[in-house]
Amino acid sequence: MTEKIAIIDLSSEQVTVKEIPEELLRMYLGGEGLNTYLLYNYSEPGVDPLSPESPLIFGTGLVSGYDVSSSRFEVTAKSPEGEGGFGTSNCGGHWSAELKLAGFQHLLIKGKASRPVYLWVHDGEIEFRDAAFLWGHDTYECQELIQDDLGDTQVKIAMIGQAGENLVKFANVMHGLKRAAGRTGMGCVMGSKLLKAIVVRGKQALQPHDPERLLEVFKNHYKQITSTKIYPVISRYGTLTIFCVANQSGTMSVRNNQSNYFEEAEGHLDDEIFEEQYKTKTLACYGCPLRCSHRYKINSGPYMGTWGEGPEFYMMAGFGPAVGNADWDLILAANTLINRYGLDVGSSSGYIAWLMELWQRGIISEKDTGGLNLEWGNKESILTLLHQMARNEGLGGMIGQRASRATEEFKPEAAKYLYTQRGMMHESPQNFRAARATALGEATGNRGSDHLKGRCSLEFFGMPPEVLEKIYGKPIASALNSWEGKPWMAAWTQNFTTVIDSLGYCKFATIWPGSTHNLNYGNFCETLNAVKGWDITPGELMEIGERVWSLQRVFIQRETGALREHDIPPSIYFQPQPLEPLKGEKLDHDSYNQALDEYYEIRGWTKDGAPTDETLVKLKLDKKPTNLI
Amino acid sequence: MEQKTFFIRADYCTGCELCQIACSMVKEKAPNPARARISIKRLVIDGLMIPYICLNCKKPACIEACRRKAIVKDAKTGWVTIDKEKCNNCALCVGACPFSALVVTPEKEILLCDVCGGSPKCVEVCPTGAIQFVDREQGVEGPTDRAAVNMFEAT
Repeated sequence: MTEKIAIIDLSSEQVTVKEIPEELLRMYLGGEGLNTYLLYNYSEPGVDPLSPESPLIFGTGLVSGYDVSSSRFEVTAKSPEGEGGFGTSNCGGHWSAELKLAGFQHLLIKGKASRPVYLWVHDGEIEFRDAAFLWGHDTYECQELIQDDLGDTQVKIAMIGQAGENLVKFANVMHGLKRAAGRTGMGCVMGSKLLKAIVVRGKQALQPHDPERLLEVFKNHYKQITSTKIYPVISRYGTLTIFCVANQSGTMSVRNNQSNYFEEAEGHLDDEIFEEQYKTKTLACYGCPLRCSHRYKINSGPYMGTWGEGPEFYMMAGFGPAVGNADWDLILAANTLINRYGLDVGSSSGYIAWLMELWQRGIISEKDTGGLNLEWGNKESILTLLHQMARNEGLGGMIGQRASRATEEFKPEAAKYLYTQRGMMHESPQNFRAARATALGEATGNRGSDHLKGRCSLEFFGMPPEVLEKIYGKPIASALNSWEGKPWMAAWTQNFTTVIDSLGYCKFATIWPGSTHNLNYGNFCETLNAVKGWDITPGELMEIGERVWSLQRVFIQRETGALREHDIPPSIYFQPQPLEPLKGEKLDHDSYNQALDEYYEIRGWTKDGAPTDETLVKLKLDKKPTNLI
Repeated sequence: MEQKTFFIRADYCTGCELCQIACSMVKEKAPNPARARISIKRLVIDGLMIPYICLNCKKPACIEACRRKAIVKDAKTGWVTIDKEKCNNCALCVGACPFSALVVTPEKEILLCDVCGGSPKCVEVCPTGAIQFVDREQGVEGPTDRAAVNMFEAT
């Protein structure tokens, strides 16, 4: 099957469809990999991320729709949130496979519409449709209106809420009721183009190279994923199950990282209470037996009747301990709100936690908050700030528009308590200063502070060295706070997650969350070889991960110049943790810098964190755009 | 002799469509949900997913509706199948079926489940038991009404 890309110009309403050359697929796969190539090649150096010239790229994973648990797509653009750096985000649901079934692997969107529009993509056709009637509506209403407009209840929709329309720097591209391409402001870029939604319906057949073999691979991977120890847990609670473990192991961010264990959560915030009191249904992404998503309804109290889908662990932690709240109702009410508006959970909860610490320290007062009382856990104020962010009103509106530059609005010491990296909110709900590979892996993430790329889950289980060596191919210390082998573990994990996001797999179906029997490189090769008829090996896949990762670096270097100084975790990582467990744990600058040097050496980068010319040659990367599409 | 057929528990359906993918891979040699012999409808904005598949009725309305005698019910197994040599895709059966089991492809072709000879692939890959293939006299345990209640209460 030949994979196709549609180049869509919103200004002229022209669509050009091209075949993606095989050599590019073999070098970058699809999803994040090819998106990165397209971003580097199609955006002019120094482009304003919110200008019509700035491209917005959607890409399905290369094996999306072919294998189990592989229905994820990537949205990529220059980031308006991350201080002009690299912006990308991965999203699950049904949209990815649907786009494949409609005949496209990638959509490259450029220009700006003259009025609000949405794209209607169906079986090889792409139409521009008026979206004036959708503008101003939240994502839930938007879906109902689009189904009505097209007379089809089975369409799959990627869209923005009011947050994206109002150019909130951390607006998401949303899909379904909770699926989000979050962080780095992809919804903000979409809003700047007056593009409300991309609606997809596909009824075509996918054409695997070897259907018999693919069926075998499909059956085996299904068996493999559903027979791991993590499967019964993840299919019942989803990521909510992380909460109690994270809290009790002292890695939680409590009140904007002032503490690492939240006692108030005991008996109030856990996955079992959610299941008993709120959950109404279990849902899954396309082709995935893991079914980690839930629909819920609040049955009593001030938010009675509120319903939605989600929440994930980061929602629970971000609107729980991080803002000093131990009430499930508030977390779920906030979840519904951010999903309807299309706000990012990490950034919105992180900035609220920051504001609350400023309030606690007397750095801001009612004069700055427009009368809002920002005491820890003040529910009304939390929800008000979310409304304000999405609607661009008041204090919340200012935060939404300015993101990390909001520090300029307050007294200078306010900046001391904002933990950002590359302009991106440190993912507030957890901090991993005790876990060395994870601290390094997240801090060197090209998006900035990125657990989805750098979290080395296998670091947390104290695994025997021989097991670790078997997986990573090099000696790695079992101890959480040892640096031995950790730079390699961080780089390995970043390459691995990049390959996963390029293929379209869900990380929870792979060894990434810590289940060593789940899918690994060897399994990815089985799928690819059945689908594409290739003879690809784990080594070649690892090199692809490295290639994509280094190209993202070259992009950051081209756009912002600054590299090493942004590869350092936020200042809080260098202060001791206050509470047991892990009391007193911290990073120190000398050993961190040493580890960073080792990491750069592993990557073939200079001491400043830029790929060397030899590395570029080795990875077949050209600094000058090659424009092969 | 025991006759097996499908029972649906829509409340357990997560909407993953693994059944459609597996079915199309077996029957069409390609992932092609639009040509699967089972279909999942997503209703009330993902509030309810309903699997539709042939329930091998005791007295099939589709057989009565078909003017070409293309649909037959096996007396021994009880399974209802369609003979594509005789079928002219007129879709009378589609309107007649009370369970919306017949599939109309994008090319307006009519397809019907053949239970994979007694070991249906869709059931094999359903992770939650939303579709089960059991003795029709026994049925399956579990409520049939919760899905409908949730449909209105959860939205």
